[in-house]
Amino acid sequence: MMLARVADSLYWLGRYIERAEHLSRLSSVMLNATLDQTDSGVQAVWIALSAVGDSETGKVSPYDAALALVLDRSDPNSVVSSLTMARENARQVRDQITTETWERLNVLYLRVTDPNAEAEFADNSVAFLHDVIADVHLFKGAADATMSHGESWRFMMLGMYLERAQLVSSLLEVCFAPAPGREINDHLALVSLLRMACALEPYLRVYTAEIEPRHILEFLVFDEDFPRSIRFATSRIEEHLATLARHVEAAGRAAPERLAGKLKARLQFADVDELEAGGAGSLLTAVVNECARIHEAIYETFVSYPLELRLPA
Amino acid sequence: MAAKIQSLDEAPNLPMTGAAYLPGVAYDEMFAPGGEVRGHYAPLQSRMATLGASALADRQKTLERSFLLQGITFTVYGAGSATERIIPTDLFPRIIPAAEWAKIESGLTQRLLALNMFLADIYGEQKILMDGVVPRDLVLGAPSYRREMQNLYVPHKSYANVCGSDLIRGQDGQFAVLEDNLRVPSGVSYMLANRDAAKRTFPGTYREAGVRPVERYPDLLLATLKSMSADWRSDPQVVVLTPGVYNSAYYEHAYLARLMGVPLVEGRDLVVHDNMVYMRTTTGLRRVDVIYRRVDDDFIDPLTFRRDSSLGAAGLFNAYRAGNVVICNAPGTGVADDKAVYAFVPDIIRYYLGEDPILPNIETYLCREKSQLSHVLANLDKLVVKAVGASGGYGMLVGPHASAQERAEFAEALKADPGNYIAQPTIQLSTAPCLVDGRIEPRHVDLRPFILSGEKTIVTPGALTRVALKRGSLVVNSSQGGGSKDTWVLAEENGHSNGNGNGHSNGHKGNGQ
Repeated sequence: MMLARVADSLYWLGRYIERAEHLSRLSSVMLNATLDQTDSGVQAVWIALSAVGDSETGKVSPYDAALALVLDRSDPNSVVSSLTMARENARQVRDQITTETWERLNVLYLRVTDPNAEAEFADNSVAFLHDVIADVHLFKGAADATMSHGESWRFMMLGMYLERAQLVSSLLEVCFAPAPGREINDHLALVSLLRMACALEPYLRVYTAEIEPRHILEFLVFDEDFPRSIRFATSRIEEHLATLARHVEAAGRAAPERLAGKLKARLQFADVDELEAGGAGSLLTAVVNECARIHEAIYETFVSYPLELRLPA
Repeated sequence: MAAKIQSLDEAPNLPMTGAAYLPGVAYDEMFAPGGEVRGHYAPLQSRMATLGASALADRQKTLERSFLLQGITFTVYGAGSATERIIPTDLFPRIIPAAEWAKIESGLTQRLLALNMFLADIYGEQKILMDGVVPRDLVLGAPSYRREMQNLYVPHKSYANVCGSDLIRGQDGQFAVLEDNLRVPSGVSYMLANRDAAKRTFPGTYREAGVRPVERYPDLLLATLKSMSADWRSDPQVVVLTPGVYNSAYYEHAYLARLMGVPLVEGRDLVVHDNMVYMRTTTGLRRVDVIYRRVDDDFIDPLTFRRDSSLGAAGLFNAYRAGNVVICNAPGTGVADDKAVYAFVPDIIRYYLGEDPILPNIETYLCREKSQLSHVLANLDKLVVKAVGASGGYGMLVGPHASAQERAEFAEALKADPGNYIAQPTIQLSTAPCLVDGRIEPRHVDLRPFILSGEKTIVTPGALTRVALKRGSLVVNSSQGGGSKDTWVLAEENGHSNGNGNGHSNGHKGNGQ
């Protein structure tokens, strides 16, 4: 049993944390890739900026783009805004998360909102981003190791995995949905893509250093064990929702766990041949849309349900 | 007042020596007038003497960092950005010997007992008004008097379940009650956070001194709240009601909810249906039995009190009247901590208990009385004048510190609405050593202990010591730049090795862990 408002905040806490980590990683990989003055660097910048919905790439320098992506407080989709929102949500539910978990998030927030943050970023942006990502991992570790894996934790995980499924799908859509004149096949650009998904090392262990678009798709969409594959994320979403929905007995509710189950099954029984035959775009778009429907169903079931249906008899 | 205000060059350099620390005319918590260290401060003094300026500064910095990380902060909104500030906190504890505490404890218990009887009476038969002990219009005309509470059953006749009284120690070294806070007193989380910090800052000294623990406050609070619910509700659901994350005491609300293990709710989480209160949970509506509300009376129910409030729940008060939910503290307790009613508390104690008050009041002039008003107007430069309805250090004139113009303006306000003001002599609050800009200097302090009252009355053996951080200032409210420090209540008299500066433990075992 937990307050509906609290579940809402924990869910968003998970989403914002995941978003902050992803954006930090995109920026870091992008800045690293542009150190070499090659076409692969240009492609990496294009991937990163397209993935965050910035279609007007090339107008500003990669450094300025990264700076804005990380520290622009006026942009609601920056790292600093995401972490501010994550902390704001955590503050709303301060009684629900352990002190260890809270402190990790608070340290992170204080780091990115520090008046010297911009100077530190300018001084060594890769080190700055490395620390931010490491702090996010510490936060996730503290949550895992110190919070009860009950309802609170599950709502947080739910937000994290839904956000992850959507972010990875969008990243792959940018690279593999047919776009005129844009085909990512450069080796180094593909390596950057894997890095953006934090997948390079696990990928190499499965497929060796033969970096192929087909393998990347297979790995990031269908791999069962890699925590950032879409299939892995949807399995977790389904699992958490099935547990959370067990105690909800209202008739006529939206049943997010069934939507998640369907999405999970679809990914379980498809394979990369089918994906290539039908075009990767349609499946990836479907994942993004299904995640949005699951999000709405979560609200209807757990958060903003009509009171008439739940009044005591 | 303040005949001898400390000047900067009188303040000692570190490490401090007793001779260089001049407390001035006020009673000093650590030093007797002759300059010798009071016995109960000896263990701390010997530790302070061994720490150099930089070691103390380091400890202060660690302390502040830990408050920042825990989020014990308030937000300052500046040009385009918001920054987090910690509540200023001083690393030296204030120490109270066992015998002094025993008197405070019995005095506070007596006082709260009488005040709860007073509340039960004025919201019941009103005998005390009929007997003319307290003027009828003073009580029934007070804005904090709630007609809606008349003839309502309150378990154990405990209207004020959580009370935070403000005590001060005058020049004579005696404690007196300055104010009773029976509405929604705050500060208890700072008491607990300060204790946590002090244990890390002076672990050896803490152990040696034999300090009584305060850590049981959350579970005693929960037991007090549960004792207020109806007998037939087994395992009552307790919640903490907060105005929300932008309230300056939000940290405390979340802290108490977390340590009690109960939900922290906002008004929008509550639904009243059929005179029952429910909260919206992920699995539907769930019944609420006891609400520890940290929202003022005016805002708890828009149907009964202020209609524009969105901080409470519509219908809450009717559910309370119907006996289906308990609100703690009860609405309407404010009438007993009214600044004008305060003047009558010694009489209230005598009336209900037939005892003399153990802790004295501060002499108070009621400006509603013509003779007292003229006395106040003639002595504005010596008195502290307070508006009856205000708190937090607002609406207040500290006569000796005010300019002639400020006094003249206040005099006009007094004449225009005398019933709204009381006056008290300016009390030279006691001082305690604080670390200020790298020096150890005396600062004025007060004492806010916390008392719980449900089935039983419990005084927590500790308190929040509030500090006026500005040199010479007598205003300790955090809204006026005050800070705080930990307060050690010793388990036994001289529970330490007197004056032993070498850290030898003499084997005294306090209750403190």
